[in-house]
Order: sequence, then structure tokens, then C-alpha cells
Amino acid sequence: MGKYSIGEFEEVVLLTVAILYENAYGITIKEDIETRLKRKVSVGAMRTALNRLEKKGFLKSEFGEATAVRGGKRKRYFKVTKSGKEALEEVMEARKQLWDAIPAVAFDFKFG
Amino acid sequence: MSLQSTPPKIPLRFLRWFCHPDLLEDVEGDLAELFDSRLEKSRFKAKMLFVLDVLLLFRIGIIKNFKPFNSVINYAMISNFLKIARRNALRYKGNTILNLLGLIIGISSSLLITLLVYDEVSVDKFHTNGNQIYQLFRNMRQSESAVVTTESIPKPAADLMAAEYPEVDEIALVSWRMDRTLGAGDDNVTLEGRFVSPEFLNMFTFPLIIGDKNTALNDLGAIVISKSTALSQFGEDWPSTALGASIRLDNQYEVKVTGVFEDPGSNSSLDFDWLMPADQFINNNQWMNDWGNGSFRVYFTTETPEKAKAVGDRILDEITNHTVGADNAGMEQLIVHKFQDYYLYSNFDNGAVNGGRIDYIRILTVVAIFILVIACINFMNLTTARSERRTKEVGIRKVMGAQRFSLSIQFFLEAIVFSTFATLVAVVVAHLLLPFFNHLIEKNLFIPFGEPITWIFLIGTAVIVGLLSGSYPALLLSAMNIIQSLKGKVKKSVSALFMRRGLVIFQFGISTFLIIGTLVISQQLRYMLNKDIGLDKENLLALRIATEETEKLDAYKTELLKSTHIKSVSRNSGNPISYGRSTSSANWEGKDPNTGYEVNVMITDVDFIETMGMEMLKGRGFDNQFNDSTNFIINQVAADIMGFDDPIGKDLSFWGINGEIIGVVKNFHMLDMHEAIAPLIITCIDPSQSFVVMVRTEEDIVQAIEAIDDVTKATFPETNYEYEFVDTILEDSYQVEIMVNTLVNILAGISIFISCLGLFGLSSYTAEQRSKEVGIRKVQGARVSQIVFLLSREYAKLIVIACIIAIPFAYYVMQDYLSNFVYRTLLKPDVFIYAGLISIVVGACAISIKLYNAAVSNPVKSLRQE
Repeated sequence: MGKYSIGEFEEVVLLTVAILYENAYGITIKEDIETRLKRKVSVGAMRTALNRLEKKGFLKSEFGEATAVRGGKRKRYFKVTKSGKEALEEVMEARKQLWDAIPAVAFDFKFG
Repeated sequence: MSLQSTPPKIPLRFLRWFCHPDLLEDVEGDLAELFDSRLEKSRFKAKMLFVLDVLLLFRIGIIKNFKPFNSVINYAMISNFLKIARRNALRYKGNTILNLLGLIIGISSSLLITLLVYDEVSVDKFHTNGNQIYQLFRNMRQSESAVVTTESIPKPAADLMAAEYPEVDEIALVSWRMDRTLGAGDDNVTLEGRFVSPEFLNMFTFPLIIGDKNTALNDLGAIVISKSTALSQFGEDWPSTALGASIRLDNQYEVKVTGVFEDPGSNSSLDFDWLMPADQFINNNQWMNDWGNGSFRVYFTTETPEKAKAVGDRILDEITNHTVGADNAGMEQLIVHKFQDYYLYSNFDNGAVNGGRIDYIRILTVVAIFILVIACINFMNLTTARSERRTKEVGIRKVMGAQRFSLSIQFFLEAIVFSTFATLVAVVVAHLLLPFFNHLIEKNLFIPFGEPITWIFLIGTAVIVGLLSGSYPALLLSAMNIIQSLKGKVKKSVSALFMRRGLVIFQFGISTFLIIGTLVISQQLRYMLNKDIGLDKENLLALRIATEETEKLDAYKTELLKSTHIKSVSRNSGNPISYGRSTSSANWEGKDPNTGYEVNVMITDVDFIETMGMEMLKGRGFDNQFNDSTNFIINQVAADIMGFDDPIGKDLSFWGINGEIIGVVKNFHMLDMHEAIAPLIITCIDPSQSFVVMVRTEEDIVQAIEAIDDVTKATFPETNYEYEFVDTILEDSYQVEIMVNTLVNILAGISIFISCLGLFGLSSYTAEQRSKEVGIRKVQGARVSQIVFLLSREYAKLIVIACIIAIPFAYYVMQDYLSNFVYRTLLKPDVFIYAGLISIVVGACAISIKLYNAAVSNPVKSLRQE
């Protein structure tokens, strides 16, 4: 896996943060994953993943302005770092290599 | 937005509690936002989902670190605390030494006492089925108010239990300790042992090294011997030669060794060098088969305490029921007592268990705890008194952001470091002192370093002493006001001063209390040892000759009297100063037929009264010129019970013998002072039942003993004999009291010493504090004595208050202690006065040493330094 170890859910979160770009914070990430991938995401699971990614240095975060909607609490905005991008690229690269290595007949299901 | 738009409180509070502070804000915000958006659909659902989300957030990665003190204390801080503690300790060496000395003495003496207590408590606890073993006791009513309790039980009671009590599993008969002469080779040795029924080896855990415990005692001619006996009789290769070997018993019989057991250790209350089958003894002593005669100890096992209680209820009146109408019917009851409790609870008062050694164990435990507390108080007082030195440190720490909690931790830690160090040294000290201590208490204690309990105990002591002695400084110093402490102007806290005085009062109160206790205990001891016991105990020997040839005793007596060093000789059925042979068959004119009295009977010869140096109050002693074989002498107690105005010439009968009373002897003590003097009949009817020969010697005891030795060897060449001095026996019977007396003496000394160490520290603090004042006073012309008096007044007052408080407590407790003795010394005020004076004088010395130094020092020195 190289120097970037990353799980499937972490990969999804990381990609979503990249997609949302300037607007990536807890709720938007959660909702984006839910609408795009049609899977349920709990705040807990997502928070842990974000936390872990930040510790690994794939994400960085900063606080935004406080808003009344959130009971006066600030939003924490996330951004993908350079090494986050490299991690994503490596995962994609790895997948691509694997895809390329599959012989054409393997997916030939005509006579299956 | 509706008013109820806020998320539910309880889960939110939970979240705030567990969530890592770095994450809390935005997580909470996310949840709030989510809640709001869900609120539009359904409020209930929003709340439920909120709770669910909070619960799902409760996971690793979100939960904050709950490591203890993590936020306040870390390794660097702790090492800093330790460094500062070390520097402070080294800088104020005097103070440190006082602190440590108190703690070391306190801990090491408590440690030794704990060893003793542990040893006492563990006696008889090694038996595998120990908690199922019970023992029968017999209460004998001696008069309207007095009940004597004995462990000798009529053998038929044991037979009855075996036949009719299904709840009893096993019964073992155990005889009293008897001397028997054993010989395997050429030499004979006299050893003490017991006759026991075969179940004994099964019931108690005395494992056989060789032999089968189930069959060893089945054969009448069998003997089981201890390992040490086997070693002395059969040499090093006893394991191969002893089994089946013959041993000569009393030079008359041959018995066969059927087993060897490990010697009963010092933690067994049952002690013996040999065991033989009880039936052998019973066959030679048919009187044992009578309900009226107590003989063996009876032990039995039963599964549960409930069953034991049932047995106890049922067996209570068996003796009375089986002796109805018999001429020796007494008012006797059987009671059940747990075997393992007997060692510590062996005193019976009026037929019920009332303490025993446990009383001394309790006294010593309490004293040991007191001493430890006194040592802790020293630590507290010295540390808080010297707290000014640390105020700047505390102030700076507070300014740098130290919280009160971390300051408390610091002082606790310091105290624990001190107490740990003290404990380590104390263990070494205790280990070094152990030989002396063992000599003192005549035991063989050791510190069991191999056992985890020792380490748990030591660590526990270090921690508890540390927490206790650190508690007050930690509380006080951490609460200081920052600004004042930095200015170096600490307002003297009034409550701290009161507390310190209170603690000094407490220390000296306990010390005074202990001194009073010491004085009373030794006064009672002296009273017991010196009381006129009704006979002349000087130059009096009791000889025990293990022989069956009683017919030779008359000639023996004549031979002894030929020596010029021997004044008189008398033969007795037992040693008169520890006597317990009794009958309930005594009858006299006007005796109430409904009351049964247990009266002691002593069988002697005509020379008894003279040899013992007893005093006749009425009538005459036995005389060779008369035929006195059916004439009796009674003691005062018996005379009172019988109620005659003049007992001389009155008819008296017992054991079916009719005779008349010819004299009343002054009461003498037949047992120790815990017991009341029992009624007694002295007769010279059958001198063949003599086991003990009492010899009154002239002043030259050494010559007398030589003469006795010669005569005994000539008359009974085959037999061993023992002699004891009556005054030594008396002293031995107070062995426990003597030991406790010595220990309490020492402990009281230690407690006052530690208290004085503390006082010394406090007074030197005062001397330092008030050095300027002393200087000015001296310049103004004050005399040294005036200054010492002025400075010491503060502490002297405390000691006086302590004495005043201690005296009523001590009075109450010592009254209770003395009530254990039937014959006791009076509590007189002088004891309290002496004790008070001792504490005041000793305390005053401790104070004045430093204060005197301060008072004589040159005032220029103290006034110049600024």
C-alpha cells in the first residue's frame, strides 16, 4: 500500500471533502455521502474518520464563523492536504494497476 | 423557530462530559444543525436521533483521555516534586530527622506488634477442618454465685454423643498432658504426651510422616511419637527403623511405634511428644466411666454452626439427666465452644465465654495504632509549623498556574516519599530488633518476607501513614493566598494553630493514657505476685515423680527428712497452687438438698498444713497422735457455704465417706487471681493417691536440692523426676500478664518519646520565631528562667489539658481491665497523679532544651540579623 494507508470509508470521506471544496464541514460531508452513495452515515463514524484523517495529515481543518443555527457553535471546515491528494492518487493508481492486470477473459461471462 | 428547538439536555451534557475538548465545539454544532433540520419533520424523531447520534459518538477517538491527573500532573512535574522534596529534606536536616525518627520508631514498633498479633491470631488455624471442630466444656456450680468451667468432661457424655447424636460426625477424646518415661535404647526420657482416641489423627491436622493415620492408634499397644522423639530415640535413620520398633513405657510395658508425626509447631495450642490410644488409659482408670467424673477433653466435628448450636442446645443438661438420684449429682451443664476460638477466648465468667488472650491482643493492637497515629501527628505538626518556609514556593507555583489539586498532590507525594523511606528503614530496624523482641515475648517470630501479605501490609502502611500525615499539610498549604504568600507575610491561620494545639493535646492525651495503663497493669501484676496467697511460697518445692510405685513414697519421705536441709515433706494429690479436683457429692448437716455444690477435694497426709505454711483459723491440723483418716479440714470459703457458726465437730461426707470437720484453714489460692477461691475439703484418707511431693527446705536451697536428688535417685533409680519452685510456678502462671506488662511499658515509653520529639520540633520552631522577642526581653533585663517559663507556657498548658482529658478515659478503661480479675488492686488517685507528672515533666524537658538554648543565646546575635 506504500506509505499511505487508508481505508475504504476514509477514502470516501476524503474524496467528499475534495468535492465540497470550500464548504466541507460535518453536516455537508455527511449529507453529500448520503445522497451520492446512498448509504447511511452516523455523525460518530464520520467524525472518527475525519479525526483519523487529520491525524494522518491527509486533512487540515479550521474554524469558520459562528452561526445561530448551530447554537452558536463554529463550523470546522476541512481541506484536503497535499499528502491527502497523494494518498488518493496512490489508491487510485493501485486500483488502476490491478484493473490493468486483469486478463480480458476473466470478465467474459458469456459461457459462465 | 419554536421555543423547543434546543436539543435534549441530558444527552448533550453526556456528550460534553465525554467528548474530547478539541472536538467538542464543532461536533456539538453539527449535532445542533442536524437536530434543527430534523426538527422540521418530527420533534420526537429529532430527539431520538439526537440521542442515537450521541451514543454513536461514544467511541474511541472521540472520548477524551480519562487517564488520572492527566491534565494536571505529568512525569516532569512529579520528578520536580521529588526534587523539591529532596532539597527541602536536605536543607532542614534537623526537621527531617525528627520527622523520620518519629515515623521509623512508630512504624517499627507497630510492625513488631503486628507480628505478635498475627502469630497469636494464627494459633490453631492450620487444621484443615478446623472450623468444624468444637469442644465440650463443663460448667460446675460451686456456690450460688460461682461457676467453674472446665474442659474435663465425663467420658459417658462422649459415648452418648457417638450413639445418639446424628449431627455429630466424629468425636475425639484427648487426655490432659501426662508424663511418661519412654526408652528405646539404654536411656530413658520423660516426655509429655496425651492419650487420644483414634479419631484424633483424622480430626486434627497433625500429619504422620510415617504410619497410617487411620489405623495408627487402633491397637492398644500402639504409640505414635513426634519426629524429634524419633530422632532422639532411633537416631538419624529413624525413617527406616522407627516403624514397628518397641519402646519401653515406664519400664513396665512394651509398646510398638505405629507412626511418627511432625512436631506440633508453636502455633498449635495442643502440644504433645507422643500419642497413645485412649482406651489403654481408660482400661486402667475405670472411674472414668462414671457420669460424675470429668476426665478427657471431648472434641467433635459437625458440618455447620447451626448443627453445632443444635448439639449445644441438646447436650446442655445431659449430665444432670444421667446423674439424677446419684449421690454425686451436681448442678452441671455442658456447653459447646468452637475449638479455634478457644486459644483467644479461654476465660469463662459465670459459665459463659468472657475474653481471654484476645483482651491482650486488643490492648496491644490499639496501642500499636495509637503509636502510629502519634508519629503521623508529629509529621503533620512539624510540616505545618514550618510551612512558612514553603510559602514562597507555593506562591510561585500558584502564579505559574498550579491548581490547588496539584499542590495537594505535591504535599501528599512528599509525605508518601517520607513514609515509604521510613517504612523501609523501619523494616530493617524491626528485623534487627526481632531477636530481642522474641526473647522478651518468648516466641519465635520472624518477618515472612516470602509472603505477599507482608508486602501488601508494608506498602499499605507506607501509603496510609503517608496519606494520613500528608493530609493536613496538603490541605493547609495548598489553600494559601497567593499574594500574601508571595509577600512573605503569611497571616497566621488561627484554625491551623488550633489544629496544631489540638493534635499536641491528642498526642499527650494518648501518652498519658498509656502511662496510666502501664502503671495500673504493673500495679495489678505486683499485687498478684506479692499478694499473700495463704501459704508460704518461699523455699517450697513441688516434686513430680513419674512412678507407679506409690508404696515406696512413705520410705522416700522418711529418707528426705533425714537431710538437715529439709524441713518438712508432704504428699499431695496435686499441686495445691494449681488445683482442680472436685466432687459434687459433699454433704453436710443442713445442706439444702436442691442445690448442688462442686467442692474441691485435696488428698494429702498429716504434714500438709505445716509443709505448706498455711494458717489454721479454727480447730487443729492433722496430727499423727490421732486417727485423722476420716477427719477433714475445710477452707473459709467452704465454711461460709456450709454456714455453720462453728464448723468444728460437724459431720461431713463425700465420696461415701463419713467424717467430721476438725479445722478451718485460712483461704489460699488454688488458681490464679482471675479465679475466685473455691471451696475445699482437705483429707488424709488415702495417701496412695499422691502425685506430687511438696518439700519445704531450709534456707540453703542448693544443698537441699542435692539431698533431694540423692534420695530420689536412690529410691526410684529408674524414674525421672522434676522439681519446681512454688514461687516460680506462680510467676509462670502470670506469664501473659508479665509479657503484656513489659510490652505496654515499652510502648508507653515509645509513645511519650515520639510525642516529645514532636514537641521538641515545635518548641524549636517557637524559639526561632520569637528569637527577636527573646533578644529584646533580655536587653530589657529578663532572666533566663523567666524567658524559658514564658516561652514554654504555651506548650505546658497543652500537656496539662491533655492529662485532664486523658484521666477520665483511663479511669473508665482501667476499671474495665481490672474487672477481669477476681482479686485486684484498687484504682487509687496516685496512679493518675504520677502519670500526669511523668508526662508533664518529660514534656517540659523536651520543650525547655531548645527554649533554654534560645534564652541563653546572645541577644546581639538575634537582634542584629535583619
